[in-house]
Amino acid sequence: MEKIMSDATAAVNVGSESVKTQNQIAMSLKDVAVSFNGKVAVRDATFDVTKNKVTSLIGPSGSGKTTLLRGLNRLHDLTPGAKVSGQILLEGTDIYRGDITVTELRTRVGMVFQRPNPFPTMSIYDNVVSGLRFNGIKKKSILDEVAEKSLRDAALWESVESRLKVSAGNLSGGEQQRLCIARALALDPEVLLMDEPTSALDPIATLRIEELMVTLKERVTIIIVTHNMQQAARISDDCAFLLMGEDRAGELIEFDTTEKIFNNPNDSRTLDYTLGRFG
Amino acid sequence: MTMIDELVPQPESSNTRDAIRRTAHSHRARRVAISRVMMILCGVALVLTAIPLVLLLIQLIARGTSQLSATFFTKIPQSPSLVDPNAIGGVSNSIIGTLALTTYASIMAIPIGVLTGVYLAESRSKLASTLRVIAHTMAGAPSILMGLFGFTLLVKYFQIGFTAIAGSFALAVLMLPVIAIATEISVRNVPDTLREAGLALGAKPHKVSLKVVIPSALTGIVTGCLLAVARAIGETAPVLLTIGGGYLNEWRPLNPVSALPLSIYMNAKSEWPSQRAQVWGIALVLVAFVFVLSLTARIWASRKQKRNS
Repeated sequence: MEKIMSDATAAVNVGSESVKTQNQIAMSLKDVAVSFNGKVAVRDATFDVTKNKVTSLIGPSGSGKTTLLRGLNRLHDLTPGAKVSGQILLEGTDIYRGDITVTELRTRVGMVFQRPNPFPTMSIYDNVVSGLRFNGIKKKSILDEVAEKSLRDAALWESVESRLKVSAGNLSGGEQQRLCIARALALDPEVLLMDEPTSALDPIATLRIEELMVTLKERVTIIIVTHNMQQAARISDDCAFLLMGEDRAGELIEFDTTEKIFNNPNDSRTLDYTLGRFG
Repeated sequence: MTMIDELVPQPESSNTRDAIRRTAHSHRARRVAISRVMMILCGVALVLTAIPLVLLLIQLIARGTSQLSATFFTKIPQSPSLVDPNAIGGVSNSIIGTLALTTYASIMAIPIGVLTGVYLAESRSKLASTLRVIAHTMAGAPSILMGLFGFTLLVKYFQIGFTAIAGSFALAVLMLPVIAIATEISVRNVPDTLREAGLALGAKPHKVSLKVVIPSALTGIVTGCLLAVARAIGETAPVLLTIGGGYLNEWRPLNPVSALPLSIYMNAKSEWPSQRAQVWGIALVLVAFVFVLSLTARIWASRKQKRNS
């Protein structure tokens, strides 16, 4: 156990010689940049996302956190003029050029969005199993089993067990967001991307989602974009700090353990930001 | 005045503040006056709009209801004679014909119109933008053109003659752009976050359209279809040149049929006062059809709004 910890600490020092063994890294980013019609939105993103940890992307507005996150499940594919360069490896496979289809990638790298977005025309049950149905799984026994398991994992089962056929629009905001987490978990992803998942929620709903993330990381690697410094400090193990450069393109300033980023960062700008001096 | 206020000079700021208050006050009075005048103008416009509509409805109901009877709905028309100038029969042929025409036209126009609308909303291609221009032009085209089109293409060129199918084809051409535009708008109104949610679950784009976007837009699409049907039911010009008319209770696609707007047109030209009076009854039935369809469309639309809020 100690060995793993020290390995992990060594590996997160970007540019250091030590490289984590393949099976400890969920996703690996090398010089990732995203541009829209030639205009760079974020660049220089190089870091490894460790399995079963929470990695947070922090930084002020415009620093490219969300843009970078959406590159990790190829959501930019449908935006005309968007281009992702560099390398993003999922279990060693390049997700843009490797032997992996975009639909397969998205079942392995799930996503939870900023605002809860359950499908309004579907029931709670249909929402949870929608990912399975999209991918051709129709057997009722499987759907039932996954629905219950995912809702339990999202800490929602008790409150919706008796009303699975009710429209998802009847849930509260926090419940809707947990439903969206359950919907993503139903596909049993390796990585879960969360784009400011609590920014539209009240403090109590936020707390429940944060608690959920901490338990969920046992089975899924989490990458979360957050504006909330305390949230990043509370729940994440590793932390990437991004900042908008002179040319208005976001860039990675520093990547390290959350403890290091918040207590003793290498870059003075990181310290200024985490202390609330700007942003 | 405390000591500090005397010590700290602040002449300009309080002057500015007074100036702002004064101007704002006189402005407020002017705004209230303008608002009142505008409200009165709006009210006058509303009354002017309502007067012809209300007069029309009163006339229709007053003169139309007396025409409605069992004979009116169940019997075919009869020719009045000097012996019995009031033997005009009913208009069952036109009611059946209108229902048949609208059904066939809907079967043709709704699937194509909805699919076109989805394509217009989801595609960024050149073809889509060209189609959009065509759809908007067609929606504004005079309906007699659709009649001429159906007449030239089906009645004459394909030699199928004056038939229900030729008439419903002309009506379908009229309905198509209305349905396509309504569908496009409601599909576009589906938030992108729902599309992304579907894509992020590994769904292929066509599955997202089919299982997420179209169901979410369905109320809007149905409303658009109902309004298109309501419009087609009352159109006279497209059927005038295509359906042939006739006194029999006919509904088969390849036979000539009658329609409510057509019998209004024919009866209005009649030399018999009894037949001219019957026009009011037919018009009332037609308006009732359109009213029921519009009302259904409105109820659908408000249900959607309720669900979205």
